[in-house]
Amino acid sequence: MVEQHFQIEERSANGVPVILVEGEIDVATAPQLRECLHSVIAQGNATIVLDLLGVSFLDSTALGVMVGALKRCRELGGELHVVVTETRIKKIFEITGLDRVFPISDSLDRAKV
Amino acid sequence: MGGDPLLSAPSDTLGVGDRVELAFPARGDLVVLARLVTSAISARAGFDIEELEDLRLAVGELCLLALQGSDRRHGDLRLEFRVSTDSIDISCTLEGAAPALTARTADGLEAEQLSEQILSALVDEHGREQQDASARAWLRKRRKGPAA
Repeated sequence: MVEQHFQIEERSANGVPVILVEGEIDVATAPQLRECLHSVIAQGNATIVLDLLGVSFLDSTALGVMVGALKRCRELGGELHVVVTETRIKKIFEITGLDRVFPISDSLDRAKV
Repeated sequence: MGGDPLLSAPSDTLGVGDRVELAFPARGDLVVLARLVTSAISARAGFDIEELEDLRLAVGELCLLALQGSDRRHGDLRLEFRVSTDSIDISCTLEGAAPALTARTADGLEAEQLSEQILSALVDEHGREQQDASARAWLRKRRKGPAA
């Protein structure tokens, strides 16, 4: 088995759910992110903060999961805020044009809605 | 003179014409292997850290594209790395897997488009072919600096 760091945690800040992810989000781990996002949305939360400050890698599968969750949030009148500072991770949002789709912040404080 | 070429070649570099192959069961949890090997090979082929990170991400996307639309339960992914004077060529072939029985989902199609966008931004050339039970995705990335 290949060791791959991935951790996901759900918190709440000022009544807004914050999903904190650490490690690598790829085809192997993205299903856990999808499940967590779906679960939080199913609990009636239309607005979510996705904290990617501890993420060292993400691929198109991860982006696909985030786009799917963003659509569900917006259908419910909410938003999916992304918090990211790592240049490599921001670059992936930029080259796919998703930096213009997601509200992206560089800290949790700035993402608070 | 003419010593053993294995002993005279620098041990930490890959030179022009060198080829490396990696094969593993076509499982998503093993794609990390492809990325790890890509980092090691790219560094030894003289790519800088930024290029290396680009290649690591791009190879993950190659694997995803090769896996798209196939029943991956029984296949193998085979990666081939070839180092040339100014570039590296990497191909990823899914072998021994039957075409998927179910149609691609909207999520799958979206992820595929994202893969294509990522590859277009990170490498100089890329493409893919599908033939019966075999799907192949490939890329070429040119080195900014001199060869190792």
